[in-house]
Amino acid sequence: MLLQLNNIFKWVNSGGQRIFLLKDINLEVEEGEFISIMGPSGSGKSTLLNVIGMLDTFDEGEYNFLEESVHDLKEKHRANLYKEYIGFVFQSYHLLDELTVQENLEMPLIYKKFKGSERKAMVADMLDRFSIVGKKDLFPAQLSGGQQQLVGIARALISNPKLILADEPTGNLNSKQGEEIMELFKQLNDEGVTIIQVTHSEKNAEYGSRIINLLDGRMI
Amino acid sequence: MILNNLKIAWRSILKNKLFSFINVIGLSIGLCAAMVIGAIVYYDFSFDKFHTDGDRIYRIVSVFKSKEGEFSNRGVAVPLMRTFQEGVAGVEVTAPFMNTTFYKVQNREANLDFKDIENSIMADDAYFELFQYEWLAGDKATALSGPGQVVLSQKKAEIYFPHTQMANVVGRTLVYNDSIPVKVTGVVADFKEKSDLNFTEFMSMASAKIFDEQDITTSDQWNSTSSGDQLFIKVADLSRLNEIQSRLDALALEHKNMEPWAVDDDRLFVLQPLSEIHFGGKYGDFPFNNSEHVASMSVLKSLAFVALFLLLLGCANFINLNSAQALTRAKEIGIRKTLGSSKKQVVRQFLGETLILTSLAAVVSLFLAPLLLQQFMDFLPSGINLGVLFSPQGILGIVLLILVVSILSGFYPAFVLSRFKPVSVLKGQFVKGDKGVRLRKTLTVFQFVVAQVFVISTMLVGKQLYYVMNKDMGIKTDAIAYVNLPWNNNTEQKKERLLERIKEIKGLSNVSWANNPPASNSVSSTMLTYFQDGAEMHQETEILWGDINYLKTYNIPILSGRERLNDSIQEYVVNEAFAKALGFQEPSEVVGTMLKLDTMNIPVVGLMKDFNQRSLKSDIRPLALTGNWKNRSFSMINSIHFDLGNNSEQWSESIEQVENAWAAVYPDEEVKVKFMDEIVQGFYRKEKSTVQLLKWATGLAILISCMGLLGLVVYTTERRIKEIGVRKVLGANLAQLNMLLCKEFLLLVGIAFVLSVPIAWYLIEEWIQGFAYKTTLSWWVFMSSGVGMVLVALAVIGTRTYRTANINPVESLRSE
Ligand SMILES: Nc1ncnc2c1ncn2[C@@H]1O[C@H](COP(=O)(O)OP(=O)(O)O)[C@@H](O)[C@H]1O
Ligand SMILES: [Mg+2]
Repeated sequence: MLLQLNNIFKWVNSGGQRIFLLKDINLEVEEGEFISIMGPSGSGKSTLLNVIGMLDTFDEGEYNFLEESVHDLKEKHRANLYKEYIGFVFQSYHLLDELTVQENLEMPLIYKKFKGSERKAMVADMLDRFSIVGKKDLFPAQLSGGQQQLVGIARALISNPKLILADEPTGNLNSKQGEEIMELFKQLNDEGVTIIQVTHSEKNAEYGSRIINLLDGRMI
Repeated sequence: MILNNLKIAWRSILKNKLFSFINVIGLSIGLCAAMVIGAIVYYDFSFDKFHTDGDRIYRIVSVFKSKEGEFSNRGVAVPLMRTFQEGVAGVEVTAPFMNTTFYKVQNREANLDFKDIENSIMADDAYFELFQYEWLAGDKATALSGPGQVVLSQKKAEIYFPHTQMANVVGRTLVYNDSIPVKVTGVVADFKEKSDLNFTEFMSMASAKIFDEQDITTSDQWNSTSSGDQLFIKVADLSRLNEIQSRLDALALEHKNMEPWAVDDDRLFVLQPLSEIHFGGKYGDFPFNNSEHVASMSVLKSLAFVALFLLLLGCANFINLNSAQALTRAKEIGIRKTLGSSKKQVVRQFLGETLILTSLAAVVSLFLAPLLLQQFMDFLPSGINLGVLFSPQGILGIVLLILVVSILSGFYPAFVLSRFKPVSVLKGQFVKGDKGVRLRKTLTVFQFVVAQVFVISTMLVGKQLYYVMNKDMGIKTDAIAYVNLPWNNNTEQKKERLLERIKEIKGLSNVSWANNPPASNSVSSTMLTYFQDGAEMHQETEILWGDINYLKTYNIPILSGRERLNDSIQEYVVNEAFAKALGFQEPSEVVGTMLKLDTMNIPVVGLMKDFNQRSLKSDIRPLALTGNWKNRSFSMINSIHFDLGNNSEQWSESIEQVENAWAAVYPDEEVKVKFMDEIVQGFYRKEKSTVQLLKWATGLAILISCMGLLGLVVYTTERRIKEIGVRKVLGANLAQLNMLLCKEFLLLVGIAFVLSVPIAWYLIEEWIQGFAYKTTLSWWVFMSSGVGMVLVALAVIGTRTYRTANINPVESLRSE
């Protein structure tokens, strides 16, 4: 088992009232799964994804990730954990504007303290695999949306994460580009990478092996 | 990692050109001031640091305490030197010397004459034992052991004996003051390091008698102190200083002046460490008689404060702009954190960026520094240069400065940035909350307080300076000039001849001879005795010597009594302050008083109106004017004064005639006509340099602060573009929008003004205490400087708000 959420609650207090963002979430994810999270806007999809990605905290419940109890860990340890095992893909790509494609890919490796020569090899590998060698010296602003998302995925993949979390990865793309990204996910999943994605599109959700529906912070 | 960070830092610097520019300029002004002022401070702290056992070298100086206050004299009574030479416990070396001048030195073999020799001392071999010179020729141990021996510095030797090897200079003879043959017994290299001991000619102490100077071996003048009589010692051990001081105290007591007028006064002998000599010790004396510069701790401190404040302003700018900008960089931080960056790495990255900007600023300031230094050259000692910045210490200093400034200005923004939670950034929640607003406002207020204090101070110091330079001193200063007569090679006949010739010049009127002009920096005073109710009373009185034209020349009226009968009669004309000091309610009653000087009885025949004898920093002191009656061989006449008249076109011709007259009488001497108004201006040289410094500091402070303000305005208006668009659509007009945008900033400037008024008031109150005559600290100075600052701020803000208010709302509302 890769991760397990037990009775997760998350809330904010507003005007003396407790507003629940997540309510009693129970979820088990095995390695190699491809999960799609669906639900209307504001239902808590991103919040759930961020909790899984350890970017956000929760108020109640247990979260185990690879035998570690995330709820008991200090922030620093949590950061180490997601640094090691999780890659993020965002709707609006979130590439670093000041860096070239190649340098964007290199960034996570630097934070993981890989040596320069290793980094070069891994970046070259990834550029090759995604067929973007020709774009390696371009800045994000010089790429199309689809290309930027490709780089975003490549960046998430570069340090061989076990889990990829993608929040509406195709939301800003046209349908053809979206399809390509989904094909890519499928292929990655076949290679053994676990994927959890948030999507609005039924069609995209079909690529996954399991669909989770959220409504007002609750799984239905 | 580092390389990567540098690369990113560089790119984001380029991306935000305006912000980077403001940051770099703000910091470089601060750094530039720090470098220039650092070089000035370093200069003054690097004197006489190289002497062997320098920490054990002390000078003994005299301090006089009387009811009039404390005075110091860098010299000591000559017999004290003998006492030390005979041996004082705890003293290893006793090296007395006397500053002296020679009016002529001749190398007769080569037919060379040299006049007015300065920078010379009379010393004995102990001097060279105390201060280690490099000996180019001669024997250090005996060079000054007998009469008629002199040691020259290399530069001096090259002048006296051109094209001669140093070894051959030794043994040659020079003729001093026309008749005294002296043998050169040694040549020493001039100090390469900075030193106040810039003597070039060392006459043996044993020659004192031949030169008519005080002789240590015989003098018993315990109560006469001349500033040129220097006593240096090397103590055996610093722990024995107390022992030496007690001996000095005992000697002072034993040889106390028991004259009736001095019996209440005290004279102390004080040990002054070599390291303090350049700073004038407690009383700010020049290091030696021939010194041209004394460093002032208080001036150096003020300079350091100016530098510090300019640096802080630059840092404040930086913190301000970067924490404001933090929001626009939040996205980047969020992404970096999701990619695995730790807080520490974010902090490091931003500190790295700050370091780059600061280094860039340092490079810029290295180019600016010479320009800034140039502005202060007029009142700085000429030895100061920026070369020290490129010495190992200088480079180390700059590197340290860069590091400190980087940390100071980079830490807070880096800290703010590193705390961003990636999730809130990614959710885009961020733009709403704007933390650090209060800090930015505080910093802006701080900047404007500093700038405003500088502005007010500059205006008030300038006002005071204008006041003292234009206040009527009670004497005529326009169109009055004088010449000082040569002090050697002169006779009474020559003086008379020049006086007669000058009197004949048509353009001049009221020609008179005198000692000093009525207002000057040189003062002679004496103790006059008078009788009151049968008791003998003493009054310290300043004395002016002048002929019966003198008061007319300077337009000083006689209030009662009469002018002296002739130029050499024993009569006094005194001022009102003197009459008051003697206790006369009605000053005119002083006329007729008999005064006693030594054994003579001299009547007061007239009362002249008070005038300022010195700068307006000091009060009017009791003064007596008298003629030249002392004796013929020691005349008090040493200057001729004249009125150039109202027709200024004629002045240059008149002066040329004076110069011609001079040339006829003193063909070998140079003439220098001094103008009274320039003498008065010269009283305030230090204040003028203060104004100059303040002007620059003010300008720079305003510049930095306004750039900071501009940055903040740019940032704020950019964030409010959408709001402005909406308001415009709803019908707001340009003026309303501008007002809306400006209000917030003007409030800050206003708060700064309110805070700065008491600070500036306090500082100027302190400063102006140094003057006996003070200008009023008028409210309009404060108000106008406040209004001025608001206008400047408004101009800065306006450029930006106007543009923002003018943006077509369709454009600003289009996105999203
Ligand atoms: N920190 C917060 N404080 C208050 N409300 C929040 C906070 N974070 C998210 N929400 C609210 O929680 C709900 C779920 O948000 P989100 O997970 O982003 O929904 P979505 O399913 O569209 O991704 C939304 O209504 C959002 O406004
Ligand atoms: Mg969402």
